[in-house]
Amino acid sequence: MQNETDDAQQRTERLSRTGRTIRVAVALVITGLMIVGNQWGEDDHFPFGPFKMYSSTDPLNKPVPDTRVEAVNAEGERFRLTMANTGFRRAEVEGQIPRLKTNPELLESLADAYHRRRPTRPKLVRIDVVIRWWQLDGARATGEYTEETEVTWTAAEADR
Amino acid sequence: MTGVDLTHRAGSAVVKWFTEPVPKGRIAAFRTVVYLFVVADLTYFTTWIRDHVDVPGSLYQPLFIGRVLPLPVPTPGLVTAIFWTLLVTSLLAATGRFPRLLGWTVFALYFEWMIIAMSYGKVDHDRIAFLVALAVLPTLGRSRHGDRTLTEAGGWALRLVQIAVIATYFLAAWAKLRYAGIDWLTGATLTRAVLRRGTWFSNWTVEVPGLLIFAQFAIVAFELFSPVIFFVKPRWRYWLVAYFYGFHLVTYLALTIAFWPHLAAMLCFLPLERIRPVAWLLSQLDRERAPSDRGPTPSPAPAEP
Repeated sequence: MQNETDDAQQRTERLSRTGRTIRVAVALVITGLMIVGNQWGEDDHFPFGPFKMYSSTDPLNKPVPDTRVEAVNAEGERFRLTMANTGFRRAEVEGQIPRLKTNPELLESLADAYHRRRPTRPKLVRIDVVIRWWQLDGARATGEYTEETEVTWTAAEADR
Repeated sequence: MTGVDLTHRAGSAVVKWFTEPVPKGRIAAFRTVVYLFVVADLTYFTTWIRDHVDVPGSLYQPLFIGRVLPLPVPTPGLVTAIFWTLLVTSLLAATGRFPRLLGWTVFALYFEWMIIAMSYGKVDHDRIAFLVALAVLPTLGRSRHGDRTLTEAGGWALRLVQIAVIATYFLAAWAKLRYAGIDWLTGATLTRAVLRRGTWFSNWTVEVPGLLIFAQFAIVAFELFSPVIFFVKPRWRYWLVAYFYGFHLVTYLALTIAFWPHLAAMLCFLPLERIRPVAWLLSQLDRERAPSDRGPTPSPAPAEP
């Protein structure tokens, strides 16, 4: 540690006039981009998209969605596809549901991911993306639910 | 005083604020912490990014920036190569050597790493300030740990990170208004969050009438007022930073969500140059060795860092 007396002679490295101007301009541009992105941008404009964490709101008793991906293998076993056995996050499945609905064959990629991670396991023949809607009453789960299968993919006969 | 004079004065006050000098030792400390966090992020905090190694390219949905820049569709080879190069370069960068070369390399690799992370259907909002930190550090030259020389360039860099940290709060309140409107305050967002991700720490809160609504008002108030940190004395500034960390601690206990990279970037508000673990350790070792040496050894300044 240095002495307090050093304070008196503390040196300052100053910026040149140009250096200062450029830096202030950059700071203003970055701040401006964050503000513009926040008001008019979307997640797609990362890193200048909106800070929309927990920014939506729902009526208190609207059912709470719980998304899962289920697979059936050639031996008829039914189980869940998770981040652990595919490398694909649940939130990513949720984010791509609209795209998966129009292109169900994309789920085959999820089967490929699973086979890469579990090369010795039996082939997958079917994948379902299911949303379980938990019913609420007075902001509390009633234990009742309804389920909707959003997308289904089945392997072509030749691949089985 | 004329109007022109006033404008000029206000202008130079703003410029001064943007480039308020800080000790170079603070830059050195922040640099080490930021680059070590990259290592921690790769290996501990955000390990799911590396899991994308097995996900076929057809599920890759490049972000706007990934469509504008000619970035390749991630392959297992690419993901693995970025992971290891980033790991090694950020470890090297943490030593403070070749700050520009290593700094820009780490920034470019980490940015691509983020684009890969966010291009499969989910974008996270926990690391804008951290990205800004990685972008501004390479603009600064070599800084020694413990150096008390003041630097305006360094002050600007830390200021920009601070702005990004506070923008994360302030603009989050704004986004709530944009997406949910004023109804957000009295809505069920926190209730539903606790129902989905609650813990022993938070599950009881849904039973208490009005508590989570009150919490929603408190959150928005805190987010909207967060910029006051730029207008208060250092003592209050540190209390506010402590409050911010406290907010994230409570969020973590309640919902197991933590904005780790944001928390690392927020250290830019603190006088990090005063904490010198390596120098302290060396001086302790020195003291232990000293009695047996018996020489009139003038104790040298602690070595780097």
